[in-house]
Amino acid sequence: MKILVTVKPVADPNTPPAAWIDSEKGKSGSVNYVANYFDLIAVEQAIRFKDMGVDDICVVSVTDESKMAQVRSAIAMGANRATLIDPGERKLGAYQLAAAIAHEVKKEEPAFVLMGKQATDDDASQVGPILAGILGWPQATFVSQIEFNDDKSRVKVGRETDEGVEVLDVKLPAVITCDLRLNEPRYATLPNLIKSKKAPMEHLKFSELGIEDSPRVTVEGYSLPEGRSGEAKMVADANELAATLKEMKLVD
Amino acid sequence: MKILVVAEMQLGKLKPSNRATIRMAQDLAAQDGGSFSMVLIGHQLDDTVGELNKYGADTLYVIDAPPFEHYLADTLADAICKLVKAQGFDRVLGGEATTARDYFPRLAGALDAGMCRGVCALTQIDGATCYQRPVFSGMALRTERIHTPIHLITVDPTAMGEPNEGGAGEVVAFDASPQDNANVKFVELQRAASERPDLTVADRVIGAGRGIKSADYLDTIGKLADKLGAAVGATRAVVDAGWLPNEFQVGQTGKAIAPKLYIAIGISGAVQHAAGIRGAKTIVAINKDAEAPIFKIADVGLVADLFEAVPQLIENL
Repeated sequence: MKILVTVKPVADPNTPPAAWIDSEKGKSGSVNYVANYFDLIAVEQAIRFKDMGVDDICVVSVTDESKMAQVRSAIAMGANRATLIDPGERKLGAYQLAAAIAHEVKKEEPAFVLMGKQATDDDASQVGPILAGILGWPQATFVSQIEFNDDKSRVKVGRETDEGVEVLDVKLPAVITCDLRLNEPRYATLPNLIKSKKAPMEHLKFSELGIEDSPRVTVEGYSLPEGRSGEAKMVADANELAATLKEMKLVD
Repeated sequence: MKILVVAEMQLGKLKPSNRATIRMAQDLAAQDGGSFSMVLIGHQLDDTVGELNKYGADTLYVIDAPPFEHYLADTLADAICKLVKAQGFDRVLGGEATTARDYFPRLAGALDAGMCRGVCALTQIDGATCYQRPVFSGMALRTERIHTPIHLITVDPTAMGEPNEGGAGEVVAFDASPQDNANVKFVELQRAASERPDLTVADRVIGAGRGIKSADYLDTIGKLADKLGAAVGATRAVVDAGWLPNEFQVGQTGKAIAPKLYIAIGISGAVQHAAGIRGAKTIVAINKDAEAPIFKIADVGLVADLFEAVPQLIENL
């Protein structure tokens, strides 16, 4: 059984926001890239399915060659191979990313697609469901539990929603996006990182996939949110805290 | 502009977040003197229609059928897609939530439309309405512009004011002819029973962090919450530890809240949590570590052992 997993290299979430904005605007800076954490959860889940008959885990990443190391880390964890789709100078939108991935899905025909529920840079949380919409496949987002039925034609998933855990029974093939509590991704070991350099890596160009070149959504600018103003008023004990809350008319 | 608000149901009631979505629709409509319509989708909606139909919408479309009893992305996206195409809507607004985060992008795929998620403000650039939204765990704001004829927007429910009340629109039943969907079946919703207010709309919220040390202490947190009529929220650490279910999580991967009063108990104030409480009017922090980042965003702080301070606070309130 083949699974397709997507990996997006993103700026380290610990990057100061101003430095991240500079890097997004194309200014050079010292931003470290890491694989999107939610995508690593997807990779981990695919690897855990290996004893359920999964023997081919193909990683797809729409990124340029400079961030190949972040994609290789997924192979070092246990994926089999990777396809890199180089966007060139383009800033791709969610729809174009989904269309590029759909191109690979149609070629690879995996049993299903596993993705992170969102990327930790633009927090858009769109590519998975757009991909499902393009393919006309069922979708299950924010998944924190997943198990196959007996003949592996369907999966039962638990989705983390605002209302609680929603359990769905989903026909495969489907697009499944992974939430935090699905698993804890393993670390890639050094020997595996070295070995990963020999894994098959296919290189494609976005411009050759026949996808419309103009993004549906463009970025017009960035700003930093207004900070919360002023210093905290410090109180000495719970009695003073209660009195302060009453004084501020925050409690009756 | 032809604006459509997708009003959502949650556990048989209108979602509070609909109000922010309606407000943004009213603001958008005001720009060209245009009007807006709404659609309500679910099953057995007769009692709900009146409650929703008081904000000056032209038309309230109602899609009422058994397949819409439980939320399913495929079914909902299909129905909205049909309505949008039939009526020629070019602005579709929903409330940012785990539901809209699920079906709106699917709709974007089906309608070939650009989408902005969690929009907190509208701005004008060169005569075009652009959309501002938080990115990078809420540490930065990004202004985005949609170039497709149809714009899909989900609205940050904590960012907008109350909608203006207005007349009732014409109620029109829309037949979305839902197919029996064998691809995805709803099995069940596992939900923690709670009598407390809804976390996303509560005026007061008590947040519990890793500092409470065990699930047992949630009883005490609950006592404080009940004394103040507050909801209980938690950090990712508390949810990861299994002390509370996921729907209690506040922060980047959980809910964004905007209560008048947020009392953070034993919460260090990591960026991911801070992203979820940005909209809180007053933040009170109780933490034994005076260096905890929560004190940088708090309005009132108490450096103390929470196991002593919280019972005292309950007694004094």
